[in-house]
Amino acid sequence: MEENFMHINLINPVVYTCMLPLIAGILFFLIPEKLKITKGIIAVMLSGISLYFAFVLYSAASLHEQYSVLPAGITYFNVAASSLLLCNIDPLARLVSLFICFFSFLITIYYTAFTAKENSISHFYSYMLFTLGASVITVLTGNLLVFVFFWGFLGITLYKLINAHDEISSAAAKKTLILVGASDGLMILGIAILWKISGSFDFTRAGIPTTNGLSITAFFCLLVGSFTKAGAFPFHTWIPDYTESAPAPASAYLPASLDKLLGIYFLARIFNDLFEVSSWIRLVVLILGTSTIIIAVMMALVQHNYKRLLGYHAVSQVGYMVTGIALGSVLGIVGGLFHMVNHALYKSGLFLVAGSIKKASGKDNLEQLGGLSKFMPVTFICALVFALSISGIPPLNGFASKWLIYQGIIEFGTGTGIANQLWILWLALAVIGSALTLASFIKFISGIFLGRQKTSLKEIKEVNWLMWLPQIILAVACIGFGVMASNRVIPQIFTPVTGEILYSGLWNSSAISLLIIISILLGIAIYFTLTLKKFRTEDSFIGGETFRDQAGFETTEFYDTIKNSSFFSIFYKAAEKKWFDIYELSKNSVLKISHFFSAAHNGILSNLAFWVLAGLIIMFIFLLM
Amino acid sequence: MHNLIPLFIVIPLASAFLVPVIGRLIKGFSKIITLTAFLCLLLLSLNYIFLSDFSPIIYKIGGWEPVENIPIAIYLVLDSFSIFMLCIINVMAFLSALYSVSYIEKYTGINNFYTLLCIMVAGLNGIVLTGDLFNLYVFLEITVIASYALVAFGTEKEELEASFKYQVLGGIATAMILFSIGLIYWYTKTLNIADISEILQTSEDHRLIEFSQLMLIAGFGLKAAIMPFHGWLPDAHSSAPSPISAMLSGVVIKAAGLYVLFRLFFNMYVISFDIGVLITAIGTLSMVVGVFLAIGQWDLKRLLAYHSISQMGYVILGVGMGMLILAKNGNKTLAALAIGGGLFHLVNHAVFKGLLFLNAGAIEYTLGTRDLKKMGGLYSKMPVTSVTSLSASLAISGIPPFNGFFSKLIIILAAVQARFYLLAVLAVVVSIITLASFMKFQRYAFFNTSAPKKVIKEVPLSMTAVMIFMAVLCLGLSLLILPDIRDSFLGPAVNVLLDTTNYSTVILGN
Repeated sequence: MEENFMHINLINPVVYTCMLPLIAGILFFLIPEKLKITKGIIAVMLSGISLYFAFVLYSAASLHEQYSVLPAGITYFNVAASSLLLCNIDPLARLVSLFICFFSFLITIYYTAFTAKENSISHFYSYMLFTLGASVITVLTGNLLVFVFFWGFLGITLYKLINAHDEISSAAAKKTLILVGASDGLMILGIAILWKISGSFDFTRAGIPTTNGLSITAFFCLLVGSFTKAGAFPFHTWIPDYTESAPAPASAYLPASLDKLLGIYFLARIFNDLFEVSSWIRLVVLILGTSTIIIAVMMALVQHNYKRLLGYHAVSQVGYMVTGIALGSVLGIVGGLFHMVNHALYKSGLFLVAGSIKKASGKDNLEQLGGLSKFMPVTFICALVFALSISGIPPLNGFASKWLIYQGIIEFGTGTGIANQLWILWLALAVIGSALTLASFIKFISGIFLGRQKTSLKEIKEVNWLMWLPQIILAVACIGFGVMASNRVIPQIFTPVTGEILYSGLWNSSAISLLIIISILLGIAIYFTLTLKKFRTEDSFIGGETFRDQAGFETTEFYDTIKNSSFFSIFYKAAEKKWFDIYELSKNSVLKISHFFSAAHNGILSNLAFWVLAGLIIMFIFLLM
Repeated sequence: MHNLIPLFIVIPLASAFLVPVIGRLIKGFSKIITLTAFLCLLLLSLNYIFLSDFSPIIYKIGGWEPVENIPIAIYLVLDSFSIFMLCIINVMAFLSALYSVSYIEKYTGINNFYTLLCIMVAGLNGIVLTGDLFNLYVFLEITVIASYALVAFGTEKEELEASFKYQVLGGIATAMILFSIGLIYWYTKTLNIADISEILQTSEDHRLIEFSQLMLIAGFGLKAAIMPFHGWLPDAHSSAPSPISAMLSGVVIKAAGLYVLFRLFFNMYVISFDIGVLITAIGTLSMVVGVFLAIGQWDLKRLLAYHSISQMGYVILGVGMGMLILAKNGNKTLAALAIGGGLFHLVNHAVFKGLLFLNAGAIEYTLGTRDLKKMGGLYSKMPVTSVTSLSASLAISGIPPFNGFFSKLIIILAAVQARFYLLAVLAVVVSIITLASFMKFQRYAFFNTSAPKKVIKEVPLSMTAVMIFMAVLCLGLSLLILPDIRDSFLGPAVNVLLDTTNYSTVILGN
């Protein structure tokens, strides 16, 4: 009886959270685009309602629960229909769905003010709501078929949100859907093999050991799905293109937050539920994870387009999450999941910042910007918080999760496997990646907000409050998650998902934050008391000519040193030729095969007739043998 | 109800007769009479879905009853597989005819067009209904001769060349089919498919029968454009007027090619493992090579035509795997899954490929070109074409929630479950390349530049209405995955192929 009661209590929020946005999304197609404001308000309300129900679900009694929305009894292909509608409401799923709704809510608010005639995405709210509903279903479902269905559906919304209009953006849209769709195809193969091995489509099956070729194939097929969605090397190449071309809210919504949540959620499921992973697979995944960190951040360093720069960082950070999850220890998984949430917080924040800058200035490149801190103080402060977070500066949240991952790697080094022996390598790569991230965000901040103000940028004003409010919320969350990390956030949000953690590098985040604040205050006090402020600024003297924009040094030019240094230049040149892009590589090889076959199809009738006879003869020989 | 079966052939033949006679006098008559006829056929075939009790209905032409259990009359047999095909044929025929109302205005000889279309549909319905091998051959010829003429309908250099190739290769196929039918007749002394089936089941294996099987695979393989018998298809399907391309790709290669292959090899011949391997192998070959040929094309309709070859490969792959499982006396549920996947893909392909050809027609109608490089930016100017073609493209690429996702999913699940791992991997790879080539179509046709090169507007209502309806069908056919709907349409058709000998027992038992 009590079980039944629980059932009803939990099912309703599940159904509301998923179905409300999906149905509303369909209905939104019927409302003409002219009523943009009405649509926006309804969409904000709907995502708010979803957020509420996700919260109800999250705060409900935290038992590991599996429910079916349908009663048992209906069967199809020997699979009970009730199992198709199985819900998997464990703490991880609840946590991820809560954050999905949270980001949807904030970004919808932002979009209501962002939208304008020239940059509006047709039916944005419909696709936004579809994405919300489908994402929640992928997280909450307990059935792999339902999972892959909605997972694939998310590819369409991703494709539609890019708003393809010119050559570059339509190429990016094409590339995105091809890569994401290809990974879906491989996931279907993986799921088919899982079905073959275990005889069921259930999500939370006891781990299948990766010992034979079949299970390893299934593992890697599913891994490709998770890597492509989250954007880890070598399936990441759609993300920089996407973020460069798509409107910033779309980038903030999908590649920056939701796709990361889903990809890493699925990765955690693969590692912890679906498979029992052997040590050499861990080694492979760790290599991929750490190379993601380094390769993407190296690419980010030399970018000029700020949205593309952020896109490469959206890839680089995934490396930390992958590394954390691949460690397999509780510490690593907590670190990975914590970093997933943190990354979604600051990266969607950064894309919102980018959107505000784009809207205010209309410029795409760092060279065209500069000195915006005076005009857009709120955006500047938020951007600074996000940039320090992503660079892993204590006491912000990026530091907290990276610290956990470092601790996880050190703990991992005590094991005996080959991957464990190389722990120092993983640690070194992770730390170097963090340093390089800081380097490239100095470029981002100083290129946009600091430095000389360009003459073309006189007219800029701070953006609408609807646009900066979500940024402030995200920035506060970044600070809060960092300051409260060790005493509130980790024990109350993350360890219920994974289990208790114990590690040597225990720290008290609040105390450290206090120390840091004191030291900053001290610094300010010194600044004022020692009257360091008394310096003067002068323009460079160029023979009495007035100082012009092009006479200054661009921030980006400092980074050309890296690009031109003899060792790295080889790689950068190869990267420019797309040698590392799995999409371009496979495209070229497919087209080569295509040309080969096309050459045989010259359309001469006697050839065609010859093929018919040849085919007949070959079949005849086959049958005689 | 039994007397209604011949109407499937009589109605289109009658309207084919009336169109040139009366259409000459009254302007617009040809359109109205054809649409009315096709609507009747459509309703008739839908009627059989909802009212059928899944047992075959037999109509004996002339009313001649069998003598000593030997059938004398030509039988028309309407079983679940026939109903399945009839629905596809007649729905597509009606939609193509409706689409043609505006489209065909740019050609002369409208009456000829509708006459030929009616004859083609009569032939297709006949192929699907007949229970007699020679009669099948006659209807096949009716269909293909009408389609030779329709391919050449534009009477430009390119169309005539395509039609000529189609005729020569079609002639080769016809010779092989007729030869094979002759062999079977000589061996079994009967032409009734059910009767032949009974005799073949009791007789010993004979090399002659194997030879006739090969000739039939080659002959009907050519009609279905399976590799290596596909040479005519890219030219013919891209040169025909677009509604005819939709019919050829959507219906003709299935009804005149695959349907007959499946029917004969499941219900007439004794299922053999070797033939199963052959059929699956050529299916896989078509699937793989077809898609590689397609992705390099810049002529839109040619790209679509090569995809027809590739997608037919999926259908054959699914059904062929079912054949292999049955031949090895494997798990029947699994065979049902494989065959179900194949037939599901068949109906899905009819809809999305038909729609894609109609989209291509709409673009050709407004821009006057089939070259993807000359298109671009149509997104804002032709919203209906753009949205419907996106849904068809996603459907053929197997992206949820469109129907292609489910049929490919089932085929891949069945392949893995039956341990055909290589086939499963190939199916996935081909699906990915299909997606890539349709993304190319979407990009170059609808996006790429913000300003189209010409001042254009959306196509007329009759064309947009058909495209919207078919796009909805692309979504709606996904519902075939639901148990209740599947059991009234797809399931019975699968069972006909699954219970291989049931066909002859039921028909001869009557």
